[in-house]
Amino acid sequence: MSAINVDLAVNGFITGLFYALMAIGLSLIFGILKIVNFAHGEFYMVGAYAYTLVALAFGVPVWVALPIAFLVGALVGWATERTLMRPLYAGYTSWGLMRDEYAVIVTFGLSLFLINLVDKVIGPYAYRGPPLVETSRVVLGPVLISGHRLLAAGIAIAVILITAALIKWSFWGQQIRAVSQNRLGASLAGIDTAKASAIVFMLSGGLAAFAGALLSPVINASPDVGIFPAVKSYIIVVLGGMGSVPGAIVASLLLGVIESFGAVYLSYQYRDAFGLILLMLFLLFRPQGLFGEKGREV
Amino acid sequence: MTLLSVNGVTKRYGGLTAVDDVSFDIVAGELVGLIGPNGSGKTTLLNILSGLATADAGEILLADIPCQRLTPEQLAHRGVMRMFQLTRVFRRMNVIDNLLVAGRALGLDHGEALTRAHALISELRLDAVAALDAGQLSGGQMKLLEFGVCFMVPPRIALLDEPFAAVHPTMKEIMGAFIRARHAKGQTFILVSHDMPVVVELCPRAICMNAGAVVIDATTREVLNDARVIEAYLGGHAA
Amino acid sequence: MTQPATPAAGAQLTTTKTTVEFRAALVAMAIVALIPLGVGNPYWLGVLIVSMYFAILAGGWNLLAGYTGQFSLAPATFAMIGAYTTGLLGTYYNVPPLLGIVAAVVVSGLVGLLLGRAVLRLVGPYLALTTLSFAEIMRLVASNTIDITRGDLGLGVAGLPIGRLAWYYLFLAVLVVLLILFYLLLRSKAGLFLQAIRDDEVAARRAGVDVVFWKTAAFTLSAAASGLAGALYAHFAELVTPELGLIAQTGLILSMAVIGGMGTLAGPLVAAFLVYVLSEWLRDVGGYQLVVFAALVVIFARFFREGLWGLAKAAVRRWRQA
Repeated sequence: MSAINVDLAVNGFITGLFYALMAIGLSLIFGILKIVNFAHGEFYMVGAYAYTLVALAFGVPVWVALPIAFLVGALVGWATERTLMRPLYAGYTSWGLMRDEYAVIVTFGLSLFLINLVDKVIGPYAYRGPPLVETSRVVLGPVLISGHRLLAAGIAIAVILITAALIKWSFWGQQIRAVSQNRLGASLAGIDTAKASAIVFMLSGGLAAFAGALLSPVINASPDVGIFPAVKSYIIVVLGGMGSVPGAIVASLLLGVIESFGAVYLSYQYRDAFGLILLMLFLLFRPQGLFGEKGREV
Repeated sequence: MTLLSVNGVTKRYGGLTAVDDVSFDIVAGELVGLIGPNGSGKTTLLNILSGLATADAGEILLADIPCQRLTPEQLAHRGVMRMFQLTRVFRRMNVIDNLLVAGRALGLDHGEALTRAHALISELRLDAVAALDAGQLSGGQMKLLEFGVCFMVPPRIALLDEPFAAVHPTMKEIMGAFIRARHAKGQTFILVSHDMPVVVELCPRAICMNAGAVVIDATTREVLNDARVIEAYLGGHAA
Repeated sequence: MTQPATPAAGAQLTTTKTTVEFRAALVAMAIVALIPLGVGNPYWLGVLIVSMYFAILAGGWNLLAGYTGQFSLAPATFAMIGAYTTGLLGTYYNVPPLLGIVAAVVVSGLVGLLLGRAVLRLVGPYLALTTLSFAEIMRLVASNTIDITRGDLGLGVAGLPIGRLAWYYLFLAVLVVLLILFYLLLRSKAGLFLQAIRDDEVAARRAGVDVVFWKTAAFTLSAAASGLAGALYAHFAELVTPELGLIAQTGLILSMAVIGGMGTLAGPLVAAFLVYVLSEWLRDVGGYQLVVFAALVVIFARFFREGLWGLAKAAVRRWRQA
């Protein structure tokens, strides 16, 4: 493999890690409520601002600002679940709107609301987040990478592993998976499904915000900064199979690498269209994603 | 005259044979009970007959014309009407509009459809709730409304999946009377039910399925006294 | 036992409901027709013209989402397709505007037909994601095919030799014609079928409704109406840019339908005027318009699901009882 290809692969992989932070949360939300959260990008945006502003305005050290961003994202996620998601539990929210419509409208509306609120309150200008380290270039064989990006990638790996372990082995992780498989069955077995949903939204909000914070030195915080990563995470949850967390992680890394090569070898102008075309093709011809088996309809 | 002829119909899901080489004939005007324990393939068979699933093998003739490749809407136009176990009505439309949908879709003009809708509403005693959206009705009333939808244009054959399950006794009586009255006028039915007294009362003939296959097809009394049927219900290998 | 003369007297048929809504919409359009008598300011006339552009889009989307339950996130995209159709035809083939507008309706309708066919089996979140991707791909194509479309700079389009007031009444005429068309459609059996499909597709098929035909028809009609709006707007603004297809534009269309009342004929049309005129006014007093409307969408969806039309109906009922 030539030097440029190694560089493309490594950088694509790192981009994929950041995608995964976004996509895991979106996938968990789809799993537990069977909806797509169209405000997911704004969780990311909130994190980018939280990190940047507490670090710049209050001089908080970056290593404290990072967990603060996670907490702020978790808080926004929790508030979203509390105020807007509860009607979804009932199936038909009323004879005014059905469940799916309600979910699209309300999350879409929330997204517009948060973007424009930040635009008015903080302003439309981009804020650059302080990098974790100032080293501008690290040379690893043929790969050139900034110190911040390398460190952020390491942190992302750690967070993804911890999250995956929590979902797999922790008490609430197991409850969440039970609710995702069968909400009615889980509630009959005594699981607090409302609490499980709240936890999922907190985790999703926190992870997306964390991604926003980690990337803010590279992609600066601005009101609509979340749209781009949100679109990526829609593509990923479709490729990985809607609701599957392992699928989302693998698909994230895959998409990162594909885009990295595609931008160089296919077309730079249309690099953002590849994933979207994949998304459409998958939903039309293979809705279960790359790895899922086609379920039997009962 | 044979109205519906089912010949060797088979449906597999992965390793599971849900319907296994099922054959029977139904003569116009018959009211046949289809019984069997849970998971014996009754609903899958109804899905195939109503076009919601396609058989892997076998043939279905409706008045001698093959119809196993037809969609539910095509079958509706040919007079096959299906009632679902989990009631399906148009929840955000009122009771009259629910009935009008079926009437207009099957070719009635507005006036004729309206007349029939009103007649069915009083026959099914839904007058008091006719102005409500279907989503506001009780479970039993919804079921009655679904009866109405299926009989806006009387079908050649009506496939009823557990119409009496979890329904208030008064509603059950209205439904029973409705089925009896239609049957007396020559309406053909297949009635899937777990409620043996109802099957005995309504259906002269019964077919019992177990593990996807037909165990016995005879008069209802013979079927209920058959050792294999008792075995299927009590010891059955179908979970 | 005494039976009422007509059983179920008082039950309002969907056709009657539609007629009431149609009359209310006509009254609103009559008021819009009278506005230029009092308002001569070309700026505000322009605002109202853009409101009518959005009213056509919101009405078309409402037919698809509100009546048929197909939650597409691409209405603005079809407007963009219509605008580029007439813009490109005029630029490269000197096609006159009128013919270009007809072509725009046909092209956007055809694209709608194809997309509608493709997404026939998708519901809820899957449909929303697929149409959203379609919208973004189309916008990326428009903004990156710089050799042909001039990208984000936008494509100059020929205007019409008419004044602002004439434009005003042209848009209004198109809006009223579409309103009448939608009314005739919804009053016929199609109205019943579309709503039946929205509520339960399987039950609609069981009842004999040709679901494939009606879903595709709704998609095609809705796309064609959007394309018409986009083409008219292109000649009015004398410019087409990929911004016409921004997701934020779809957000605006969606807010109008939700605030007005989805699945009602009058609600989205009237709300398009309220939302757009109010947003221009709010722009002058601090620019909080989008924050306010996004909040309203969420609040309406959460607490007043039948929108302003539902609130108005409830108010009339209370007033009659008092």
